Amino acid sequence: MSFIPGIGIARGMALTLRRFFEPKATIRYPEQKADVPPKFRGRLQLLYDEYGTLKCETCFQCAQACPIECIDMGGLDTKGRFHVHWGASETYGERREESALRRSGRPVPDPAYTHFEGLDVGALDRILEDHDYDPARMLQILEATQAAYGHLPVAALKRISQVTGAWYATIYGTASYYAHLRFEPPADAGQAAAIAARRPTEAAYLAGLGASLGGRSAGDAPRGDA
Amino acid sequence: MTDVTILETPKGWPAILLPRQGAGAKGAAQGSAKATDPTDLDAAVRAGAFEGLRKAVRDLGATATIAAVGASGLRGRGGAGFPAADKWRAASGTPAAGRIVVANGYGADPSSQTDRALLELNPYAVIEGLAIAAFAIGAEEAIIAVRTEATATIRILEAALAAAADAGFVGTNVLGAGRHLDVTVQAVQGAYLLGEETILLKALEGKRGQPEQRPPHPATHGLRGRPTVVHNVQTLAAIPWILVNGAQAYAKIGAEGCPGTILVQVRGGERSGVAEVPLGTTLRNVAALAGPLAKGRTVKALLVGGPSGGILPPEALDTPYTFESLRAAGAHVGSGSVIVADDRACIVDLARVLTRFCADEACGKTIPCRIGTRRLSEIGDRLAAGTSRAGDLGLLADLSADIVGSALCDHERLATLPLMSGMRYFRAELDEHLERSSCPAGVCHPIAMAASATH
Ligand SMILES: Cc1cc2nc3c(=O)[nH]c(=O)nc-3n(C[C@H](O)[C@H](O)[C@H](O)COP(=O)(O)O)c2cc1C
Ligand code: SF4
Ligand code: FES
Repeated sequence: MSFIPGIGIARGMALTLRRFFEPKATIRYPEQKADVPPKFRGRLQLLYDEYGTLKCETCFQCAQACPIECIDMGGLDTKGRFHVHWGASETYGERREESALRRSGRPVPDPAYTHFEGLDVGALDRILEDHDYDPARMLQILEATQAAYGHLPVAALKRISQVTGAWYATIYGTASYYAHLRFEPPADAGQAAAIAARRPTEAAYLAGLGASLGGRSAGDAPRGDA
Repeated sequence: MTDVTILETPKGWPAILLPRQGAGAKGAAQGSAKATDPTDLDAAVRAGAFEGLRKAVRDLGATATIAAVGASGLRGRGGAGFPAADKWRAASGTPAAGRIVVANGYGADPSSQTDRALLELNPYAVIEGLAIAAFAIGAEEAIIAVRTEATATIRILEAALAAAADAGFVGTNVLGAGRHLDVTVQAVQGAYLLGEETILLKALEGKRGQPEQRPPHPATHGLRGRPTVVHNVQTLAAIPWILVNGAQAYAKIGAEGCPGTILVQVRGGERSGVAEVPLGTTLRNVAALAGPLAKGRTVKALLVGGPSGGILPPEALDTPYTFESLRAAGAHVGSGSVIVADDRACIVDLARVLTRFCADEACGKTIPCRIGTRRLSEIGDRLAAGTSRAGDLGLLADLSADIVGSALCDHERLATLPLMSGMRYFRAELDEHLERSSCPAGVCHPIAMAASATH
């Protein structure tokens, strides 16, 4: 390989010269508008509706959809339950500590965020082993965890995430969808059993239908053994 | 065995899905089924159970079995009426390491007991249909999905499955022909939408219950990425009959292009319960199964299809019960529920209750779903509360068209039906609420008070 002294400098200067005479990219915004691809979103921001409530429903769709897991959030979910959530463990610690709601500039009370209780994971580990650490059996794992601990503690969800390799967002998304799974200990056990036996929306529907039809009973959800 | 009331049907009607009820019994036929144990395999086999499976495995082979189901014209009973054999062809034509059949016994509509009645009274028909479908598409895995809270159903199914496995109808080496079929009962709970097939598959995979874009359809890309045929339990239960009695015989029952029988949940008369009716039966004859209305009452509306059903006027009593006619009328087969509302009912209130449930149960994955159904329900609430805004009905029509046009899954599209059919057939009653804030039926509060004060 031949070596010509100064060739590197010459190349560099050539690039500098070319760039110098190239048309400039800076535009006089807002007089001029840039040609932006239609799907460009710029900085992501959570919006408020006309009542001043955040439009984000904490449905975790975006967190689940984001291929690099850069979205994480916490706050109230669609069922009105407080919960906090982190991204996958490899996301930056600084981001882990802030929920999307917090970053939106609004202070949000989030008791579960500041402290969550430690957990004796013995029972959980047995459950995970019974289910082969298989994320495809997540619903069964969550049900068994709830049966063992009475509810789904944050620490348990974190552990499940670590051990099965499923994203916390995905696990939380699953747990928050099903009405029979809960994140806090039930106020009273009887009530929890009633919710599990007949979902509140179904009960409201049957009652509403019965009333609309002139007070006749509109039927029953499936009943089990007496 | 089951606490579901089975309604007596006219003598000439075929009984394919449910054992014939109450021969000679008077009044509300509680069903002779109480006497026999539906999980008694010997009795079932004496009555012809698993003959269809035998025929498929021993005589027909997979291709001819699919052809027979195709020739029978059998269409899915899950609500949409998709031809069963088309799904089977799609699944068996997709190369895969394994295929799966799922029996959808979830029964999403809390006011309809049709699928539960079938599973509890005739579990072997469902299991046999499942085995035949699995044989035809080359599946070695089958799942019967039911509600967790239906513990009685689960108990019956598990007993029936165990007996069927002992007798070699499912399990290892089915009928000694060398094929395996693993059948499990899986209980899911937690949402109305779990009845929708893509969502049910998500639940079976342990995921959040939200639908997927289709295509790919589950038939080619379903549970764990495998070709998966999902059928309503009634669809499956008809298959053994078709193989034993012939596709032509089945095609002759019911309506042209829409053959066979279907289970309906009828309510509104002096009785309510489940009945097996030939497709194409008029709504009048379906409604008649529940007996006459309370004394002095007249039919005001028919609510057909469950929570996302349509509200049809009395003139619709002559509509034949088929997938197409009901859709054209603004309702759908849906959960098989047919409710007769008498003149005490208020259309606005009824539509509001239905829409509210649909909105509450919408999964929130897409904007038409999360916000559209909610806004629909608010329009209904405003009508009922007498706080409507000018242009609300126009907004209702526009919004519904947008939801139908942009929805991801059928739930949102169908959720527009109660209010839209109400507006189509009972416009005067809606206008009364909108313009005069009064409820002609005296149901809606607080307007009802104002209305009765002027009487
Ligand atoms: C909101 C919604 C709820 C549904 N619920 C049920 C159900 O409870 N049971 C059922 O069999 N199908 C239900 N379906 C239809 C299923 O998606 C699917 O089409 C059906 O199980 C396929 O079976 P088939 O080919 O026998 O009709 C529902 C569909 C929608 C959109
Ligand atoms: S969680 Fe994400 S996708 Fe869901 S509403 Fe909020 S911002 Fe939108
Ligand atoms: S119910 Fe949400 S996408 Fe259909």
